[in-house]
Amino acid sequence: MNQAITAEELTYYYNSLLAVDHISFSVAEGEILGFLGPNGAGKTTTVKILTGQLRPKGGRAYLLGMDVSRNVEKVQGQIGICFEVTNLYEQMTAIENLKLFARLFGVHPFDADALLERVGLVGRGKDRVETYSKGMKQRLMVARSILNRPMVLFLDEPTAGLDPTSSEAIRKIILEERERGATVFLTTHDMLEADKLSDRIAFMNQGKIVALDTPHNLKQKHGKRALKAKVLTTNGELEDREVVMDGPETPQAVQELFSREKVVTIHSEEATLEDVFINITGRALVE
Amino acid sequence: MNPRLVGTLVQKDLAVFFRNRLFAMITILGIIAYLVIYSVMPGTIDYTLEIGLYSPVSIPAFEELDQEGLEFVTAPTEEQLRQAVIDGRFIAGISLPADVMARLLAGERPGITVFFAADVTPEMRDAVAMVIQELGHIVTGQTLDIEVSEEVLGLDLGGMPLPPRDRLRPLLAVMLIMVETMGLATLISSELERRTINALLVTPATVADVFIAKGIAGISLAFGQAALFMAIVGGLDKQPLVVLTTLFLGALLVIAAGFLIGAVAKDMLSVLAWSIPVIIILLIPSIAVAFPGSVAGWVEALPSYYLVDTIHRASNFGAGWSDVWQNLIMLLGFVVVLAWVGVVVLRRRMQ
Repeated sequence: MNQAITAEELTYYYNSLLAVDHISFSVAEGEILGFLGPNGAGKTTTVKILTGQLRPKGGRAYLLGMDVSRNVEKVQGQIGICFEVTNLYEQMTAIENLKLFARLFGVHPFDADALLERVGLVGRGKDRVETYSKGMKQRLMVARSILNRPMVLFLDEPTAGLDPTSSEAIRKIILEERERGATVFLTTHDMLEADKLSDRIAFMNQGKIVALDTPHNLKQKHGKRALKAKVLTTNGELEDREVVMDGPETPQAVQELFSREKVVTIHSEEATLEDVFINITGRALVE
Repeated sequence: MNPRLVGTLVQKDLAVFFRNRLFAMITILGIIAYLVIYSVMPGTIDYTLEIGLYSPVSIPAFEELDQEGLEFVTAPTEEQLRQAVIDGRFIAGISLPADVMARLLAGERPGITVFFAADVTPEMRDAVAMVIQELGHIVTGQTLDIEVSEEVLGLDLGGMPLPPRDRLRPLLAVMLIMVETMGLATLISSELERRTINALLVTPATVADVFIAKGIAGISLAFGQAALFMAIVGGLDKQPLVVLTTLFLGALLVIAAGFLIGAVAKDMLSVLAWSIPVIIILLIPSIAVAFPGSVAGWVEALPSYYLVDTIHRASNFGAGWSDVWQNLIMLLGFVVVLAWVGVVVLRRRMQ
């Protein structure tokens, strides 16, 4: 399978602060890569290098086979970016915003209404963006990022702080874009979202990629599954019990739980990506 | 540079500019207000004559010459007297030789030099000659036999008196240009503050395209308004090409200042905080032209001096390329330096 994104020993520092520390990875065409890490881990700097906004101090980045530093304009014509911070022209209408970027990308003919319908903003295209809710603005940002039918789509926290309806609408678009053949580079703090959408997950910490695999493999390798039970004590109170699964002592521990305690509820719990991250780095993703 | 992208960005900048009600109002009402101001200003001349006087010897009788419409101001040296006349503080300057009294009393014919400002009319020159006669009469009690040599300082614009509103015209034109410093700085500052610039720079548009588009939008607004104003009030009747070229350079100066302010300002309030002092400082030379004698010679250190002085000379007195080329070179020099600093600072801020 062809690689849409390849990073080779990418390095970047701001004065003496090493923000990206010799990272190497690749993302296949049509793949969704979840890019996770706490604030200050170097995620945004990495995205800026991959999208030609920053020139790496070391290493190389390739997008669709092109060296990003040497082909910035060509690369930027092939990508779409949805920024974390809303950066729309608020005094302009949604249609004006979209048409402006369509002209910049040379998209012709361009059907703004069809795109607005796709992101659930039908009928609001002629309203100024300053009148939009946060969710509507975010959906418009996503619409803007896909209007040139990008081959690689960079999404930075696309659903942060949104209501469930808006979040779901955006997730649906991400999957549709993948169906179309686009590669999606998804930066997020939302573990569940990353777990649900991503083919693979990269964890970034202190400028380095500390893990990169499928969500399932990461949880298998670095997480622990457990049985979580609520038991009724002799004085009538509910208490939690946990039995770690997949260990040699697990059958014995389960048997003892049922024979010694009065089990009220019991369920299995898989490791989360948050657990995996803590296990790998010793720190939480959202601090 | 990609002309298609620049065109798109210019359209966007103008749309965003006119969506800002404050700037839309300033732009449209500005022209109207200045046209009204121009039209209500007197179209006739009402001078109070201020005449400079340099005399190495004390002549008490001079004080008796002050009367309504005439005022004598003593200059400490002949050089300062000349400069004051050049600066427009005096309509004329009388320089008396050290032996004037002795020669007059001895019945000899002393030579007196009179410096005139460039735009003094022949009638005014005659009036000043009469004043000198009057001065001699007071001192000696008889009609004087003196030799008066006249020296016009700067371009001789004699015979072309200026009504106050025409004297004010360069000030109004320059104000129209200067106000756009604020508009452009706001466009740039809000682009940075709202990070829309980041969205633009990940399209095929380059930093150069964005700079050029902002420059074109700013020039269209600043130059367009000033040129329209000058056309309406007759400021293009004499030397239109010189006036338009000067206005264009003035617009470039504003663009450069706007880039600088836009780069350092964090939001609209700080744009105002930076713009207002800059605009006031840049307007000082205009005040010097509108109200001669109100400002000292240091205004020549301000880039806008060369803008307003050229507009004044070209639009009011028909000064041509050969008369104003030095001003235009100075103005262009300021524009190049300011634009370079503005682009460097803005580029750093964008990164």
